[in-house]
Amino acid sequence: MTVTARPARTRAAARRRPGRARHEGVAGYVFLSPWLLGLFGVTAIPALYSLYLSFTDYDLLTAPNWVGLANYQRMFTTDPHYWHAVTVTAVFAVVSVPLKLAAALGVALLLNRERRGTGVFRALFYLPSLLGGSVALAIVWQAMFGRFGTFNSLLSLFGVHGRAWVNDPDFALGTLILLAVWQFGAPMVIFLAGLKQVPVELYEAAAVDGAGPLHRFWNVTLPMISPVLFFNLVLETISGFQGFTSAFVVSNGTGGPTDSTLMYTLYLYMKGFTDFQMGYASAMAWVFLAVLAAFTAVLFGTGRFWVHYSGGE
Amino acid sequence: MGITRSAISRRSLLAAGAAGAAALAAPALAGCGSPSSADGPVELRVFWWGDDTRATLTDKVLDLYTKRHPRVTFKKQWQGYDGYYDKLATNVAGSSAPDLFQIDEDGLSDFASRHATLDLTSMTGSRINVAKFAGSIGKTGTVEGRRVAIPAAENTAALIWDRTVADKYGAGDLKVGMSWDDFVAWAAKITHASGGTVYGTADPSGYFQVLEIWLRQRGKDTYRGSKLGFTADDLTEWWQFWVDAHGKGATPPADLTHVTNSGDISKDLISTGKGATALEWSNQLAAQAGLTKHTLGITTYPGDTGAAWARASMFWAVFRGTPHAQQCADVIDFLVNDADAGKILGTERGLAVNTAVRAAVKPTLDAAGKQTLDFETRMAGSFGDPPQTPPKGHTELRKTVLITEAENVMYGRKKPAQAAKDFIDQATSILAG
Repeated sequence: MTVTARPARTRAAARRRPGRARHEGVAGYVFLSPWLLGLFGVTAIPALYSLYLSFTDYDLLTAPNWVGLANYQRMFTTDPHYWHAVTVTAVFAVVSVPLKLAAALGVALLLNRERRGTGVFRALFYLPSLLGGSVALAIVWQAMFGRFGTFNSLLSLFGVHGRAWVNDPDFALGTLILLAVWQFGAPMVIFLAGLKQVPVELYEAAAVDGAGPLHRFWNVTLPMISPVLFFNLVLETISGFQGFTSAFVVSNGTGGPTDSTLMYTLYLYMKGFTDFQMGYASAMAWVFLAVLAAFTAVLFGTGRFWVHYSGGE
Repeated sequence: MGITRSAISRRSLLAAGAAGAAALAAPALAGCGSPSSADGPVELRVFWWGDDTRATLTDKVLDLYTKRHPRVTFKKQWQGYDGYYDKLATNVAGSSAPDLFQIDEDGLSDFASRHATLDLTSMTGSRINVAKFAGSIGKTGTVEGRRVAIPAAENTAALIWDRTVADKYGAGDLKVGMSWDDFVAWAAKITHASGGTVYGTADPSGYFQVLEIWLRQRGKDTYRGSKLGFTADDLTEWWQFWVDAHGKGATPPADLTHVTNSGDISKDLISTGKGATALEWSNQLAAQAGLTKHTLGITTYPGDTGAAWARASMFWAVFRGTPHAQQCADVIDFLVNDADAGKILGTERGLAVNTAVRAAVKPTLDAAGKQTLDFETRMAGSFGDPPQTPPKGHTELRKTVLITEAENVMYGRKKPAQAAKDFIDQATSILAG
């Protein structure tokens, strides 16, 4: 009902003071201008230009030549590294995102109770995600999980002979996943905010009806925080697919050992800036954008079935 | 109030728009600047990779040039090797590249073959004197007959070895002219004698420069024109040799070699104390000596020493779009041919390419510098001709494909023959463009 009423009222307002409304419109755009300049100058125009470049053989140093769909064709048919990078990225995202969300939710549940020192713990658990995307941390990781790293020294105390973790093709990606999961601070804070919103009466009512802690979590907590869970899921999925810094630093920009950390965005970067195949890299970027958009759309589609918005009807 | 506010905003919007347009136009203008007049002041942008030491020396030598030619000043920019070419490439793409920049073989294969560097052929001899260049070093820096860069300094392939470790485990000295089998036996002895705490040598099967020497010893080349100069059989044999060497205990587990494959000498086995050799270039002895407390020796790679050559450790090149081509050429001439410049630069980039400068520099060298010079002087008699400048695609082959396939063998994921076939397939397609 309100939906139809609102434009009518605006229209009426516009009829009363046409000049003022126009001024406000102009002022609005003026205030938006820094953002608009950024949008068009830094994002939109370069992005569209890269769409054009994806149909060329642009190599950064000479003028681009139109090659039609050749880049896309090569990607899907003749470049084995491309599919390898897709697989590595998919494994990374599919394993790290659920683990990270589970860790975030688990710790958020523990920190949701008001006890002495809870604030300190919240800050401590959030800390890694402040450092998370940083190059320094990836370097620390490299030092910790090498053959002679801290982690293996720790294992040797228990008589366990560790591997070369980051430098072992079987474990390198797992090490990066661990690094990603450890940075669960940001979704944790959002979960905490969500948990605070769950009405206490619901728990009391459930307890009166004889529901144990597990039942209460499953039937009260989860449905009530499902919008927050959804939000975190979408955000983390997108950033999971975009993992770059840690792989770049740990593998010295090569995706090694033996391509085991060759993430999609890292391969894209190598193609564009190391191998001078900017046209091909642009094509990779556009396919990536399309796939991410499709993933997000699918998530939104399934959201209808499990995300519960209380009071939203 | 409202009107005043929006008027100001509108004005500032226009100003912002104008500034934006100017910013967009600026790089385009920079690319086609007018040729400088002979008398006006000129500021040249110079870009190089290196460490603090190199920055200090380069700073000093360019200041000396400005002192002698007050009209010419420099805007100096430098950074580490990682990301150097990324930056140079984006600058060239935006037509805002430095006028004069340092470049190596990798860079030449990417930049010179795409004509991003100025053709110096007509200025060589007239503005840039190459008459006194040592031996065959003057032949380097050409692509398809064009002179695209001037060698800045000379080095040659050198095997740096840890004398302290070798003495401790009774392995003896590494000698010029030893065979590859001698070398592997020496390395295995160190590994066994140390009980596996120190490994004889890193596995060089993914090091392009070692493979190159090995191929030249067999009458092959890494490249012939824009094609590979060797076959899958050569590569299979090369990798099998190192699989066997690993079986004898000469080399460490794959992950330790993997770390050295980045080419960063602070991560090689001498620096980390896990091994007794570093297969590098002669001018790196001084830097390597600074990374260990041990005494170091320097010798040739195993096998026939005639496969080595007087190599340009790096070059000076000029941006195709510079409006100051002649001034750049004059600066290059000063850097490579002036004795005072040579004394400042020492052997940090490598030996001076001009023999007269090299002689003038000799008394000023420190211990590592003298050791490098002695080694290279001793070897000069047997140097072969330099190989061609690598073709377009070389950097990808050297830094990615060769290392990945060599590691596939090292980590036991592929048999040498399979890895060799995969390398040749990828290389053929990359070199075909």
